[in-house]
Amino acid sequence: MDLCFRSLKAQTWGINKPSSQRSSSTHIRLFYRYRDLAPQLVPLDYTNHPDVKLPYELIGSMPELKDNPFRQRIAEVFSEDGEGNMTLDNFLDMFSVLSEMAPRDLKAYYAFKIYDFNNDDFICKSDLEKTLNKLTRNELTEDEVKMVCEKVIDEADLDNDGRLSLEDFQHMINRAPDFLSTFHIRI
Amino acid sequence: MTSYSNGGVFNPAYHDSETLEIDRRSSRKHQHTNPYARVDPAQWGHNVEPGDNGEWGAAGDGWTRRENVPMGLISTRLGSPPLQQNPNNTSQIDPDSQYDRLPPVQLHSSISGNMTMRWRGVTMRRMSMFPNADPAHAAFTEDAIKSEMENEEQNLIKELVALSTTEQIRKIRELPVSFEEKKHVRTQVTAFKSSGQYHHFTSLTDFSQNMSLSMRRFGYSIKSARQTLQLWQGIMKEIGGKFGSSVLNYFVLLKWLLLFNIFSFLVNFGFITIPLLVYDLSLNVSPNVSFRGLELLTGAGYFNYTIMYYGSYSNETIRGLLDYDMQLAYFFTISVYMVLCGLVLIFSMASSFKKNYALADPASNSAWQLLCSWDFSITNEKAVNQRKNNLRIQLKESLSEKAHRERQTTSEQLKQYGIYFGSWLLSTGLAAGCGASIFYLCHYEDERVEDTETWSALKEAETLLVPFVVSLMNMVIPLFFSLFNKFEQYSSQRKQIYALLFRNVLLRISILGVLCYYWMNTVPQKFTCWEPMVGQALYRLVIVDFIFLMLGSLFGEFLSNVIGTKIQPRLGVPEFDVARNVLEIIYAQTLAWIGIYFSPLLPVIQILKFFILFYLKKVSLTHNCQPPRRSGRAAQMKTIFIFLLFFPFFVGALSIVAYTSWRLTPSEQCGPFRGLNSTFSVTGEWIDHVNNNSSTHWVGWIYQNVIRSEIFYFLSTLIILVIIYIFWQLIQGRKQLIVLLRRQIINEGKDKSFLLEKLQNLQKSCPEVNKKHKKRTTHTSRRSAERSSGSQSNSNAMVQVLLARQQLEEEERRRASGVSVPSDISTSDAVTQAMLARQKAERQDENVYEITDGHPPSLDAVAQSLAARQRAEDRDEYWSTTHFNQSNPV
Repeated sequence: MDLCFRSLKAQTWGINKPSSQRSSSTHIRLFYRYRDLAPQLVPLDYTNHPDVKLPYELIGSMPELKDNPFRQRIAEVFSEDGEGNMTLDNFLDMFSVLSEMAPRDLKAYYAFKIYDFNNDDFICKSDLEKTLNKLTRNELTEDEVKMVCEKVIDEADLDNDGRLSLEDFQHMINRAPDFLSTFHIRI
Repeated sequence: MTSYSNGGVFNPAYHDSETLEIDRRSSRKHQHTNPYARVDPAQWGHNVEPGDNGEWGAAGDGWTRRENVPMGLISTRLGSPPLQQNPNNTSQIDPDSQYDRLPPVQLHSSISGNMTMRWRGVTMRRMSMFPNADPAHAAFTEDAIKSEMENEEQNLIKELVALSTTEQIRKIRELPVSFEEKKHVRTQVTAFKSSGQYHHFTSLTDFSQNMSLSMRRFGYSIKSARQTLQLWQGIMKEIGGKFGSSVLNYFVLLKWLLLFNIFSFLVNFGFITIPLLVYDLSLNVSPNVSFRGLELLTGAGYFNYTIMYYGSYSNETIRGLLDYDMQLAYFFTISVYMVLCGLVLIFSMASSFKKNYALADPASNSAWQLLCSWDFSITNEKAVNQRKNNLRIQLKESLSEKAHRERQTTSEQLKQYGIYFGSWLLSTGLAAGCGASIFYLCHYEDERVEDTETWSALKEAETLLVPFVVSLMNMVIPLFFSLFNKFEQYSSQRKQIYALLFRNVLLRISILGVLCYYWMNTVPQKFTCWEPMVGQALYRLVIVDFIFLMLGSLFGEFLSNVIGTKIQPRLGVPEFDVARNVLEIIYAQTLAWIGIYFSPLLPVIQILKFFILFYLKKVSLTHNCQPPRRSGRAAQMKTIFIFLLFFPFFVGALSIVAYTSWRLTPSEQCGPFRGLNSTFSVTGEWIDHVNNNSSTHWVGWIYQNVIRSEIFYFLSTLIILVIIYIFWQLIQGRKQLIVLLRRQIINEGKDKSFLLEKLQNLQKSCPEVNKKHKKRTTHTSRRSAERSSGSQSNSNAMVQVLLARQQLEEEERRRASGVSVPSDISTSDAVTQAMLARQKAERQDENVYEITDGHPPSLDAVAQSLAARQRAEDRDEYWSTTHFNQSNPV
């Protein structure tokens, strides 16, 4: 078992020396969380870089994610293939960004990607509508949805191009101190 | 005692400096032995892993390839099939040879602010521009993208190298790329750094680097230790998952206060109690007093003779190895604790205020609600549904709010103000009434109490009357306040919460104020040994308050849950009222602060109280309550709570303790300060004592001229006022600057849209352009699109114009091979148009790649850009459109 730890660490850091406690313990805990999702697929020994990918169905069924309205987007954004199927590295990336200690800009960047449903590097009205429908279970009337989206763009769009760029979004995040604590999944 | 804020923590996970160090060491070794050898990063992996060579080689595809071919990683992650199939066709660039060519001076000049932005541009494109690009496409642009990315990465690395180590770490952490890529970037940076450093490399820099490295590692290990030692982490996670961060704030505050008390207990016990116990273990309990059990509630009787209270501490100097003056120890321990508490509170408050208030933007409410308010930590289905409901209601409210406000007539407004006035009057009256009734109750008790020695059990129990009434008031009156709140309809939820908070604070302050007045004025005259009496009263208050808190959460929340679910479903399950609960613990903590002088071991009771309360509230919360329906901005509420804790409550407690020690005469029969005029005079005596020794004369001088001199305080106050004034003026200036800058942003946005509009008009009037040109320009205009998209929203229009011009010129040179090109398109109009064309092309280009799937891309944008350029050249005196077309045989 100890050998496995060491090889995992060696894989993650490219060295064969024990690294600082926190990083290794968190990573190893995350590794086990990852493995628990599909023990038959994920080997314990990661020395040989096995090409393992867990399908979105398994990732999305984690207790931390399964009730999150954005779980599919989160998985898509962090997965290499853009479809939510994750390797161990993707998995580690995801939880490090969503951890408490990730810097604000990094969090803002990924939050932006999550809200940018059509991947066009802008949060436009259709993205906002999707977000709103996810957050309110489609219970607002069309007019209300439209009004809210317009209001949001009106408030946050600094350069008046009718959609939110990453800079607009970051600007808003910088002025929303709660964001750091809400864009956070405790593991 | 830690700071309440938890922001700004480094994540050691990314920057575990092991690799850094390993790499540096091995590379240095190489350089010592053979200074001219180029160190290939690929070898380092083998160096540190000598035994695993075979394995690495076999495993090869991930790790080794990435190191051999610097860009391999990026190209494989691109997701385009041809790149993935032959990773080795990427150009093999030895990073060191490249870097060595660059003189260090140049590096420093290349620091730019938007470094991360550019990198982001790259990744953005990588992720989004070719979500599922067809092979032909990918092949077509492969070179362009590859070289673009190489450039980007090398620029990034150069910039990183120029920074200091801490900056470097921070910047790398902020790169929005995967962990593997960060590692790769960092390896490159280290490689470059160590090769660059070789020339001016002394043992001193080596030493300082080693030092800083070990310091950093030490910091990380401290942080990791702190993380693992965190109390109640699992419970916090559970609460956050079910109830969101506003409820979690309550528990965080509770934990924080618990830490305060643990610290205070350690200090008091260590510096006051232990010396006393070492000196004299025996208790001088008078024979007719025995432990009855009731003491646990009243704190009187037997407890009066224990170390619990001020009275049993001696005033002597303990002679041993060192002389230990109990008077000084008592005085300085208490005062240092109070000062430390104040400092921690001020710092937490200031940092929290800076983070949560000064930066917060009240204007963007809907945007905040939609994009920032969702709590990703919620993991409970019920809670998620409820949140969704709440959000829907809040959004609807905010939509209707505006309309509602406009519809109000004058009479309605008058009525509204009348209701406000009435409820404020009533609540202030209630608070004042409570204070007055406590005052009379104290007097009534006062008349009946005689000497404490001969108290019967009944008499002792009677002392519980005042605390009982106080706690009852604290519990019942806020219910009335909430009732008033239902009638007044505040326009915003924030105002409503503030009003409620203010009234509750007023109530508690008035009650505590009256009690303190009684303790400071009446008690010292009545009892010969008065401090322990005050201590007892505080003890009783703490205990009874605790009982009421328990009853409140058990019965209050439990009963209303039962009523809400079984009997009257209309009422529903009770919400967890964060504001009320927070005020309760703040009040409890204030009692402990006041009591610290009169009863140094009161923190023990407080620790027990908070510890039990934590579990009790957690159980009650999970079983009886639902999350608050309207969650305000949790971070701002947190700031307000710390502020409240500091301002009326801590400052009040501090001033009472200070008043006691400055003005009141300590009792003559008991306690460490017996026989003194005031507690503070203990320092005077100590200074006199020190002054006898001529070598420490300066201590006396400082005491006389600084601590006891009015002039000193007067002057320092004056200076501080001046400084405050200057800062205030600075703030005003900054505010104006912010307004101006905002206006500028808006104006530039307008400029942009105006130019775009102009372009569209232009495009309509523009004739069709030779199709042959399109194919040639596709490539270049895409390049320009790529290059610029990193800085797309950089609102500085000038920069874009310059960029556009550069690009045009480049393009021109390449295309019109042989033909001399106007290197100076100087008419500003022409330049503007060129820029417009580029912007448009950029945009259309993006769209093109989204739509095309098998179809030939519609090259509209390119045509337009060309047309615009042509027009630009039309204006140029040397060139005409026809000439241009002829000179470009395709």
